[in-house]
Amino acid sequence: MHKSELDEMQLQKRNNIGNQVYMILFYLLLLDIGLYGFGFRWLNYPMNVVVIMNACMAYYLVRIIWNKSYVGPKVKAKSLGRRIGIVIGLAGLVAGITSVLLKNGSLLTVSTEDNSAVILFIVSVVLLIILAVVSLISKWQARSDE
Amino acid sequence: MSKNLKLKASRAAKDMSQKDLAAATGVTRQTINAIEKGDYNPSIKLCIAICRVLEKTLDQLFWEEDENA
Repeated sequence: MHKSELDEMQLQKRNNIGNQVYMILFYLLLLDIGLYGFGFRWLNYPMNVVVIMNACMAYYLVRIIWNKSYVGPKVKAKSLGRRIGIVIGLAGLVAGITSVLLKNGSLLTVSTEDNSAVILFIVSVVLLIILAVVSLISKWQARSDE
Repeated sequence: MSKNLKLKASRAAKDMSQKDLAAATGVTRQTINAIEKGDYNPSIKLCIAICRVLEKTLDQLFWEEDENA
């Protein structure tokens, strides 16, 4: 991760939110283990852990964006756009490589019983949604500053 | 924490907006706004940066007289 460009108040808020979300994640995972011990399975492993982690990550991002602690004072909209462009480019590259490997049939020997494809798909979709929301809110933040 | 009206007055006297002061001190406008409203307690480093930009001393901007004294 590159050097943080947040100012001191933003850093303080981000750290507070990070601590809170870490505790929420910890207790949710503990609760999940407890429920599992009692025989209540709301989702099969590892989907339950992935869902909890994604929910906490999304909550963390939404809260830091809401508290205007995601983009620092020196980051301009241009660099944010460039960053999103790089992520989209990398996603395209990974998709291309995956499709080539699938065509060659070299991935077909891998067992698919652990729902890894679904997890990968959900994580990618969540990441893209978060990026879109962050981009929109950052633009809204920059506009409200003017 | 009470509002920092001295900071607001000094900024206005220099004909600077919150955004101008924020840019000069390297923080966000929200941080300057929070300091003026008394919602955020700035570090000594930021206090000094603000004092330098507004050409005031720390006492002039951030010292609060005890009301009971």
